[in-house]
Amino acid sequence: MIAAPEIATERNYLNEKEGVLSWLLTTDHKRIGLLYVASITAFFFIGGFFALLMRLELLTPPSDLVSPETYNKLFTMHGIIMVWFFLIPSIPATLGNFVVPMMIGAKDLAFPKLNLASWYIFNLGGIVTLYAILRGGVDTGWTFYTPLSTTYSTTYVIGAAIGIFIAGFSSILTGLNFIATIHRMRCPGLTWFRLPLFLWGMYATSLILVIATPVLAVTLLVVGVERIFQVGIFDPSLGGDPLLFQHMFWFYSHPAVYIMVLPAMAVVSELVSTFSRKPVFGYKAVAFSSLGIAIVGFLVWGHHMFVAGQSIYSALVFSILSYIVAVPSAIKVFNWTATFYKGSVSWDTPMLYAIGFIGLFTIGGITGLFLAALGLDVHVTDTYFVVAHFHYIMVGGAVMAYLGGIHYWWPKISGRMYPEGLAKLAALTVFLGFNLTFFPQFVLGYLGMPRRYAAYPPEFQVLHVLSTAGASILGVGYVLPLIYLTWAWRYAPKAPPNPWRATGLEWKTPSPPPVHNFEQTPVVNYDAYDYEALKGELGLG
Amino acid sequence: MAGMWIFLVTEIMMFGALFMAYAVYRLGHPLAFAAASRDMNIVLGSINTAILITSSLTMALAAAAAQEGGLRPAKWLLAATILIGAVFLAIKFVEYYLHYRDHQVPGFWFETNLPDPGGVQMFYVFYFIMTGLHAIHMIVGIGLLAALLIMTECGRFSRVYHSPVVVTGLYWGFVDIVWIFLFAIFYLPGLHLHG
Amino acid sequence: MAEPVVARKIYLRAYAALLGLTLATTLLAFLDMGRFNTIVALVIAVIQASLIAGVFMQALYESALVRVILGGGVLWFLILITLTMTDYLTRSR
Repeated sequence: MIAAPEIATERNYLNEKEGVLSWLLTTDHKRIGLLYVASITAFFFIGGFFALLMRLELLTPPSDLVSPETYNKLFTMHGIIMVWFFLIPSIPATLGNFVVPMMIGAKDLAFPKLNLASWYIFNLGGIVTLYAILRGGVDTGWTFYTPLSTTYSTTYVIGAAIGIFIAGFSSILTGLNFIATIHRMRCPGLTWFRLPLFLWGMYATSLILVIATPVLAVTLLVVGVERIFQVGIFDPSLGGDPLLFQHMFWFYSHPAVYIMVLPAMAVVSELVSTFSRKPVFGYKAVAFSSLGIAIVGFLVWGHHMFVAGQSIYSALVFSILSYIVAVPSAIKVFNWTATFYKGSVSWDTPMLYAIGFIGLFTIGGITGLFLAALGLDVHVTDTYFVVAHFHYIMVGGAVMAYLGGIHYWWPKISGRMYPEGLAKLAALTVFLGFNLTFFPQFVLGYLGMPRRYAAYPPEFQVLHVLSTAGASILGVGYVLPLIYLTWAWRYAPKAPPNPWRATGLEWKTPSPPPVHNFEQTPVVNYDAYDYEALKGELGLG
Repeated sequence: MAGMWIFLVTEIMMFGALFMAYAVYRLGHPLAFAAASRDMNIVLGSINTAILITSSLTMALAAAAAQEGGLRPAKWLLAATILIGAVFLAIKFVEYYLHYRDHQVPGFWFETNLPDPGGVQMFYVFYFIMTGLHAIHMIVGIGLLAALLIMTECGRFSRVYHSPVVVTGLYWGFVDIVWIFLFAIFYLPGLHLHG
Repeated sequence: MAEPVVARKIYLRAYAALLGLTLATTLLAFLDMGRFNTIVALVIAVIQASLIAGVFMQALYESALVRVILGGGVLWFLILITLTMTDYLTRSR
């Protein structure tokens, strides 16, 4: 193996200071982004491990690999870790942290020390949650419904709740940082409507982070109080209402799914433009749609409770609002598609992930509309239909966008390229594995297979076997980038400043960038994605 | 500045969810909540409200002094705010003790002869959670003020740099606002009931 | 960062108003106004909160952004409480 030729290395954020402490005490947003990559990658594989066990159990109808009680813990831990310790932080804390200051021409975020604190808080929450897992886990589902969580469960509910509570502060601080940064630190000439759409998406996400997360915090607090003191907050025999928990929980958790999806959409906007070499169609519509999703996303939480006992009139209101929230998402999908039209499309790996996102998110989104219809929901709620729906969005959507973003900004982050052939293979593996895993689950759900069940009637076995087979392929697809990106960090060819010939200020710096990002504060006098104006710089014909 | 206001929005949502839950249960148990509220000590409660408002005044004046570079008045005003805040907490803990003495603490010792005991207990559950959370915020606030006092004494602030004082003032003002609503929902509801 | 200075007088007047309103809301609570008891108490509380936010916390003197942030927070709290109430107010007993 011949290592890449040694060029005299310029000082950049990676080699500026060395040693473990320089990383653990850094306030450089780029390093913090990488610290987060390490944390969330670890949690991703831990959460994936629980999924693997679940899918292995589901190969056969009886609950033979694990007991039903253990299975309850598996899906709970899978959900908790994937939602709060992978998906929520994923794009914002990694790509967001790395890219946001650079995209606005700034040296760092508004509050760099808070940024570092946020990472430590996140890990503390993760450690507490892992401790709860090691002590025996939680079996309530990631949704912690009462009275199971407050009264009847004998597992480590409070431990997990504390871990999530702590991690919530990390979310809030990140969101706060981004809002202040995007408002106050744009470089001269960078007006709101010249911002790359990635920033609109991150901004909208940050609004949700700041407004929704505190409600989760207090909900978990109240669950803890109830669990310890049994004073009847959600207990009907003492005058309480279990449904109140669900209102409080879903007021956060529905917007939370938009915390997970808006950043993914933000990445896709960048990818679609760069790899069509065309401005995103309908810039303002996409920008306002990000805000629209964030705002309307707060108004739909009752659709998780259609059969739980809320009033039918309330259900009607939430159903209508849930239809409305699909509109801005659809606008984005149409506009991305229109961007391809007459664009100069290249099929690099990030683009493959972006296209995968658009297709799979559309399926996930449409099935969400099925679920928003009251009558249909009664039939498929709490079945694998719902499981398939949200995995299409979260895995087929958010995770693919995350991988797309990682590959896209990889040259900027690491200063090196990645093996394109292998990356394309991995993307294809992910796509095929994903569909084989989750499409059968739509059918399973429609046919009546309930979710969160370890044992099932034999007629469902074929579909479950297909799903597990898909999961193993999907797993390979995820391990591949772990391997080749680790290899590429050291040995791949060095990357030029702008390998994709993209617009966007982050591409005007060396790869990897210096600590302070820009030698001089940039001045912007062109729109986002203005390939015409930047033709000369980008070396385009 | 904007950063602290954004943080206060998170606090509005956090306390807000508890106010929402309180509203739901008050809707469900209107008489029990009113009856339970009658047993609250209106004298201590209203005195505490006035005390906390006074501390908000001293805090606002301290911030204003810092903005003008007047470190000596700022120092005294910060000290006054701490003292007044401590008095508030002392009265609060006296109240908590009285509730305990009268067997009004759910989870520890709760007895009531009032009808709809579940509803009455629910009132107290929310009373303790919400005023408790508020008290924790007060304690944190006093800690912040103490730190500010030390920094002021060391001459860290000036006409040019004083934002920590102003920002802490925002936090303190918010904590006062929360109390004003707590007072309204816990101390006032049952007063118009007779007998 | 422009730091507006609020006149001492205004602080003291706001303080007096706040104390007066506290007295008022306490005394009014003794009158039986039926449903209006709650409304009056909340309205007075909102006025007091506005005085603290506007004067003591200088929201009236800050940039529009600050007021938007504050307004947004209040709006979202109202959304939380209102939409949840669509359930509780329409349940058949």
